[in-house]
Amino acid sequence: MNAGDEPTLIGTVRDVNGPSVGVKLNSASAAGLKFVQGRGYRIGQVGSFVKCPVGFLDLFGVVTQVGASALPQPLGDDPENNGLWMTVQLVGEARRGGRFERGLGQYPTFGDPIHLVTDADLRRVYSREFEPGKSIRIGSIASAESIPAEVGVNRLVTRHSAVVGSTGAGKSTTVAKLLEVLSQADIYPSARILVFDVHGEYARAAEPHLRVLRVDAEDPVERLHMPYWALNFDELLALTFGPVKGAERSALLNEVTARKQQALQSQPRRGVKPDTVTVDAPVPFSIHDLWLKMYRQLNSTHLVAGNQSRTTEALQTGADGKPIQEGDALKVVPPLYRAQTQAAGEEKIYLSNNSLNLRREVDSLGVRLRDRRFSFLFEPGEWSPDLNGAVKADLDKLLQSWLGAKEPVTIVDLSGIPPEVLHDVIGIMLRIVYDALYWGRDIAEGGRERPLLVILEEAHAYLGPDSGSLAGSSVRKIVKEGRKYGVGAMIVSQRPSEVDHTVLSQCGTTFALRLANSQDRSHVVSSVSNNLEGLLSMLPVLRTGEAIVIGEAVNLPMRVLIEQPGKRRRPDSSDPSVFGEKGPGGWNKAREPEDYSELVELWRSQRSKSPRVC
Amino acid sequence: MNRNPVESSNLKSAGYEDTVLEIEFLDGGVYQYFDVPQAVYDGLIQAESPGKYFWANIRGAFRYARV
Repeated sequence: MNAGDEPTLIGTVRDVNGPSVGVKLNSASAAGLKFVQGRGYRIGQVGSFVKCPVGFLDLFGVVTQVGASALPQPLGDDPENNGLWMTVQLVGEARRGGRFERGLGQYPTFGDPIHLVTDADLRRVYSREFEPGKSIRIGSIASAESIPAEVGVNRLVTRHSAVVGSTGAGKSTTVAKLLEVLSQADIYPSARILVFDVHGEYARAAEPHLRVLRVDAEDPVERLHMPYWALNFDELLALTFGPVKGAERSALLNEVTARKQQALQSQPRRGVKPDTVTVDAPVPFSIHDLWLKMYRQLNSTHLVAGNQSRTTEALQTGADGKPIQEGDALKVVPPLYRAQTQAAGEEKIYLSNNSLNLRREVDSLGVRLRDRRFSFLFEPGEWSPDLNGAVKADLDKLLQSWLGAKEPVTIVDLSGIPPEVLHDVIGIMLRIVYDALYWGRDIAEGGRERPLLVILEEAHAYLGPDSGSLAGSSVRKIVKEGRKYGVGAMIVSQRPSEVDHTVLSQCGTTFALRLANSQDRSHVVSSVSNNLEGLLSMLPVLRTGEAIVIGEAVNLPMRVLIEQPGKRRRPDSSDPSVFGEKGPGGWNKAREPEDYSELVELWRSQRSKSPRVC
Repeated sequence: MNRNPVESSNLKSAGYEDTVLEIEFLDGGVYQYFDVPQAVYDGLIQAESPGKYFWANIRGAFRYARV
């Protein structure tokens, strides 16, 4: 049979070394282009597929190397050699007319023909069992745009995934596209996705399928709250007193536990009893009351040296004999005490009998309690306890606002959270959500019945390699155990090398966009099997919006042109235009009259949206 | 705000409500201009080239914010 009879034949196997096959191209392939059924195919494109029929099987492989260096060593001086060689990595097989499967049962041998792969063959390779909803379409195969690129939804969500790529490579577009297809109301009416949006990029689109939670929202339904009493003791310490050890820690632990017990006695809650409550239980108590109690204990002065009590306190008094400032817990106003004095002839004032060294920590808590920026934590709306720990709303309402909205996608806009606690806040929210879905795993709200996808934007910022932060430990827990309880994570980062390796290695599927930095690249490459590394050599030269998808959710690594999401669904991360084209801004446009007072107003109010915009 | 499509090489649509003029550009950006008189909006809608009218009479004359 000569080459003319089989238009797809391009060469023959000459060298087999495990799954790596050396192929000598026939002379008809020297042109680099072949026409099969009226369609042109380029031969020897790195990353393209070839087919090798062996018996009743078709073996499929990826071209990883083309040209002189693909020549097997001993043939280097062969005068017969035409230099048209390529190296192919075999990746899987398919019965003639059957479905493609990863892995090889047979190897080719010398003389076996190598064919180029037509669109019909590619469809066999990439197609997934078609059932609407079982896989999602995110774009098309880059080398054959008529073939849809499909990703299996089960593994994508529960086995975790990572979206990595340099700035401007199309990460946000990829995430927006995934959000769009995963929240199609007709296919996934019960989808549940939580996006942690550090910069408020996604919060812009007012879409029916998504809802934004933010700390400064005007509508109370959209306001993000994180009641401090839902935190466990370590988390609470991290956000309030700071690191405390030894006797001071035990003292605070006892104070918090006692307050939770008291609160349960006056307001019983199902599932927890006053005598068995632990310090970590999410039970309301008043931190304001705790603050005032600790302040008194540390700073008060007394008229007697021993047997001190509230009635022996030496408060400063005004001309009318009444205390100037008695202290108010909810307003975070400390009592004013008279200075200690032992001077002869004067009334003796003694310091409080106190062995705890906590003054600095209690002061810093007072500062935070007064700070408006922390009101999402310490004055969380309906979840604010009064001094006895009574609240208007319990955790069910909070979890419903986080997880039970009617919209499938909830964007947690974290741009208003003070940066010094941002990472801890992310970690704590994730921990609360995970705990809730873990314990509720067998009921309809839980993770097994209605899985949750958590999307973590800018993950390198809070998932550093050796970060002992709360965010790090929460995410590590989710990627290690979340699969069983229906909590999946999607890690989005432009610096994969700065993300904890344990976290990335647990991501079953990777969407790798253009990655220029070699360190970042090697991080991604190390997570795929050896014989496919050739495919990833394209990472630095991918086009914008093009991704290599590898891992469990796809049959085979594939290069995908990600489809643009609908216009309104694009995130607000497009670069500012220095050379402005259509819009009014840019260096090339005449100066606008400027008024910096408006800018200061926005800065002071910590919002970017002008109050005049309607 | 409801916007009406305009025929222009860089404006896509424009709307007006209560002295606020909202303009959508072809690149997708939406901006609001404040304290704009009704006459200016009418002029924009009726202009032969709304783009030119925008550059001549609106840009630089009113304060604006991106929506």
